Amino acid sequence: MRAILLRFGELFLKGENRHLFENALLNNIRKKLSGQKFKLYRTQGRIMVSDFEDEEEVVGLLTKVFGLYSLSIAEEVDATVEKIIDYIKTIKLEKGTFKVEVNRADKRFPIKSMDFASELGGVLLDNNKNAEVDLYNPDRKIVVDIRNNGKAYVFDKTIYCQGGLPLGTSGKALLLLSGGIDSPVAGYLMAKRGLKLEALHFHSYPYTSPEAKQKVFDLAKKLSVYNDEVRVHCISFTQVQESIHQNCSPEFMITIMRRIMMRIAEKICQRESLGAIVTGESLGQVASQTMQSMTVTESVLKKIPVFRPCIGMDKEEIVSIAKNIDTFKISILPFEDCCTVFLPKNPVIKPRVAQAEAEEGKLNLEELIEGALATEEIVVIK
Amino acid sequence: MIYLDNAATTPLCEEAAKEQVFWACSNFYNPSATYIEAVKVSQALKEARERLKAIFGAKEGDIIFTSGATEANNLAVRGSCREGKAEYVFSSVEHASVNNLATQLINEGKEIKFVKTQKNGEIDYEDLQKQLNEKVRLVSCMFVNNVTGVINDIAKISKIVRQYAPKALFHVDGVQAFCKLPFKLSALDVDLFSISAHKFHGPKGVGALFVNNLAKLKPLVYGGGQEAGLRSGTENVAGIMAMVKAAESVDITKNYEKVLKLRNAFLKEINMEGLTIVKAENQSPYILTILCKGVNGETMVRMLENEVIVGRGSACSAKKAGNHVLEAMGYRQDLIKGAIRISFDASLSESDVLKAAKIIKQKYAELVEKLK
Repeated sequence: MRAILLRFGELFLKGENRHLFENALLNNIRKKLSGQKFKLYRTQGRIMVSDFEDEEEVVGLLTKVFGLYSLSIAEEVDATVEKIIDYIKTIKLEKGTFKVEVNRADKRFPIKSMDFASELGGVLLDNNKNAEVDLYNPDRKIVVDIRNNGKAYVFDKTIYCQGGLPLGTSGKALLLLSGGIDSPVAGYLMAKRGLKLEALHFHSYPYTSPEAKQKVFDLAKKLSVYNDEVRVHCISFTQVQESIHQNCSPEFMITIMRRIMMRIAEKICQRESLGAIVTGESLGQVASQTMQSMTVTESVLKKIPVFRPCIGMDKEEIVSIAKNIDTFKISILPFEDCCTVFLPKNPVIKPRVAQAEAEEGKLNLEELIEGALATEEIVVIK
Repeated sequence: MIYLDNAATTPLCEEAAKEQVFWACSNFYNPSATYIEAVKVSQALKEARERLKAIFGAKEGDIIFTSGATEANNLAVRGSCREGKAEYVFSSVEHASVNNLATQLINEGKEIKFVKTQKNGEIDYEDLQKQLNEKVRLVSCMFVNNVTGVINDIAKISKIVRQYAPKALFHVDGVQAFCKLPFKLSALDVDLFSISAHKFHGPKGVGALFVNNLAKLKPLVYGGGQEAGLRSGTENVAGIMAMVKAAESVDITKNYEKVLKLRNAFLKEINMEGLTIVKAENQSPYILTILCKGVNGETMVRMLENEVIVGRGSACSAKKAGNHVLEAMGYRQDLIKGAIRISFDASLSESDVLKAAKIIKQKYAELVEKLK
């Protein structure tokens, strides 16, 4: 019978709270596999999945569960010398080197680990004329794990998973999702640290197209693979932008826009009990992402922090993650997002809070923010 | 709602819809089969070719039914390609289905030349002559430009082609001309002519390529040998019959006169500062591009969409081929950015187009005010 052996990531670092994290992880695994036939159980410090039908599908799903470090697909056999040797005989090795490692949790097993390993190695050599033994740097390492429950697990490959912390164990946050390359990556990175995300999207129809909004839903769909489901809060930013355009200095367009976005985000966070705002900003990437711009943007927030996991990354690094989580292809579709519509020729690079406040003095901020919030539409993407 | 994007597509006309249902549901037989009912279908297809040729005004030649103009254009261009040192000449403002194919042929190592466009939007006839020689295997040029409505003088081009590139096949993308402009193919002397059904109230997914001499083409797909071996695959009988019916239902001359009137009424009304009409000496009355100064054409399309549906002009995306034609006509980039395309249909009334013009002006004024 086939079984999948799961290994935790840094949950080992947890002390008294470890069981909370473990339970969350097990729940997340159950949720992830909910469409599948499977059995999930804990046995002597190991978590196993068995009785599944579609091995490839189940492994694919498991590799997307945060908190899992790696997994191995094992053959479960009765822990007797004969049965184990019978199974080892069926293993076909390509030309190359190998090593057999035996772990004996059940010390009642009649042969000592080292002796049994060399015996099994002999069996493999007899059956695979092209293979050679290399104990230090083998191409394949075949592990025989003899457990106390009368079963042995034989496996040779380790598949690495996402690592991180179980989703939800760090709380909930609001991701500003624009449609670009960076924000989905930021969402993925924070979800990986255990944050369950909702998303906030600003559109400016008719300046931006319905396709731009659909693109954000498509990105949310990709994120939902890691985030279970994504509630997307869509807000029309058209009036805010028109009002800034008509009343404020053009070079402050983006600064003021982002300050208002942050205020709206904070209001939604408070209403929905979300503990942080997540953005895809990367230091110095564009004018609104300089240290000074971020200071001025963030200064409007009273109650919650902004997490910027991409802050120290180069574009290439962000792109490489975007490709891994399959959001890149969607992000590069050429639909304008609301940030590019009223783009000034010379946006201010080093704004000061006092300047921004002076510009905002020309607007009826409260009315604009309430007006924008009134356009909110919530779409749940699964 | 007033629909003014008829160059993009048109609704299926009732006659064609009935015809399509009849050939899909009642006379559904595979024309390649040998029993009598199937032979009748095969016969009907044969007659459909002749009926379509009659509308083309073609005395000789054959019709190859395709899945639309993109396939017809591909069959015409790629089907004409041969190994060796042949040259292929294209107008520089073709539709994507020809333009992107030309780019692909360059990648495949073929010798491709592009002919300049004149300020009036027509192909540069002198430059064409310069590009031609004995080695040219194909010349491809559209009849009516899909962005500007500018009409190329096809008879003049074919004369030049015959004189300066005697071995060349002459292909015309006639998508925006067929069933819209009154012309006779026999008077134009072309070798290949592509059309698409859904531009004249036929169904989507059907088109045709007129071929003067079948022997000069090679197929793109191989199979059961249908369509004279040039387009294998069971014929889309219902679609084809509906297309021919749609074409027969058009009174080309009457519609032309009507649309010309509609266009003139629209032009009179649309007059407003900031709106530039792309005009040319030889222009189809069916297509009109308006350049809206200071705004984005795409935004205009969405400002209008609850009342008037217009096309965005191919200009909004710099990558699209349509951009070049406005550039070649001397319009500045910032104006081109504001391009919207109006395309008419004979089913519209004068009050429709006048109302549409008023709404366009009003929405434009609103947008300009907001962006001030």
